Amino acid sequence: MTASNFQIDVPDLVLAHARRGDVRALEQIYRLFERPAYTLALRMLGNADNAREAMQDAMLRLLERVGQFRGDAPFWSWLRQIVVNEVLMKLRRERGLAFEDIPDDADLPGVEPAPWMLADARHLEHALARLPALTRSVLWLYHVEEYTHQEIAAMTGKSVSFSKSQVARGSLRLRDLLDPSLSNTSETTPCQTATA
Amino acid sequence: MPDRNGMNPPHTLADALRALPDAAPQADVWPQLAQALAQRRRARRWRIALPIALAAGVMLALLLPRVVERETPASMPVAATPARDDSASKVATTTKPATTEEIDALRRRSHSLETWIAAVSAQAPQDGRDLMAAVEVEDLIGVVDVQLDAARNDAEALPLWQRRVDLLEDLATIRSAAALSIKGDARVAATQIL
Repeated sequence: MTASNFQIDVPDLVLAHARRGDVRALEQIYRLFERPAYTLALRMLGNADNAREAMQDAMLRLLERVGQFRGDAPFWSWLRQIVVNEVLMKLRRERGLAFEDIPDDADLPGVEPAPWMLADARHLEHALARLPALTRSVLWLYHVEEYTHQEIAAMTGKSVSFSKSQVARGSLRLRDLLDPSLSNTSETTPCQTATA
Repeated sequence: MPDRNGMNPPHTLADALRALPDAAPQADVWPQLAQALAQRRRARRWRIALPIALAAGVMLALLLPRVVERETPASMPVAATPARDDSASKVATTTKPATTEEIDALRRRSHSLETWIAAVSAQAPQDGRDLMAAVEVEDLIGVVDVQLDAARNDAEALPLWQRRVDLLEDLATIRSAAALSIKGDARVAATQIL
């Protein structure tokens, strides 16, 4: 897997029908992007109910405006941006964008091999869920969705250096949480993700 | 931190995160989404339709009587205002033919408007505000009718007939707005207009 799961091409015919308001075409678009949109919202928000709500709101926004899509950029990138904006708005409303500093003890020297190479998906999800919302969001947007630090800074209303530091410190914190020698399973919050 | 520019070891954090399985909402969101979409579309359509319906109502009030008038045969007896007919006929022979023709035209228009207003009023109830406005206009028409009865010749009657037609047009506007948007089946009207 090398790129965001969002990178799905929508057939021109489906888009044309959707622009005319054809409900079946709109549903087709929804079905195509349901999982990537929900996954992105879930990874950023860390909560299944909030993710579902954000995904639904973003999809509604998209389907209402699909007639305005002009094809200047790929459809999937347009939708992804709508989802990211919706999630960031939700985080702002819930004060999730407030900066939560990561303790300095997370700045541990790297160990080889990196713990995420050994951790299974469930443990990685658990560790991810324990990061502060903003750190987790920045980490995901940078590593998985491949937004640049400049883009992340613009979206979150923070500086570029802040985005860089969140990626660096979030990575170290994940290393800390995944390292078996440092882990404390009793502190692990339940994973609220609904994985496939 | 892993570098995304080709300097990464085979398994970076980015790779690990991307390898996480996709998630899906536990329940199907589409039915709710489709319902919300339909509701918003209806609301938007209605927001567009209402002003159009109101505008159309006003236009209808102004244009329809003219159409009806055009379709009314010239020989059709004008019976809407017999009292005024009598007073007008009393002086018809003593004034200029041009004035008489104008009065005849206004009388026909007055009759058309009254017929149309009666038909619209029978179909649509009115709210309190419109009812008050309508009563006020009807009172004014009554005053004009009294003045018309007292008119001594066509020269005096002509401006009064013109005033009567103007008031009837005002009344038609009020009645049509009520019929199309306020208490009547405005939704149906808007749909038909669209």
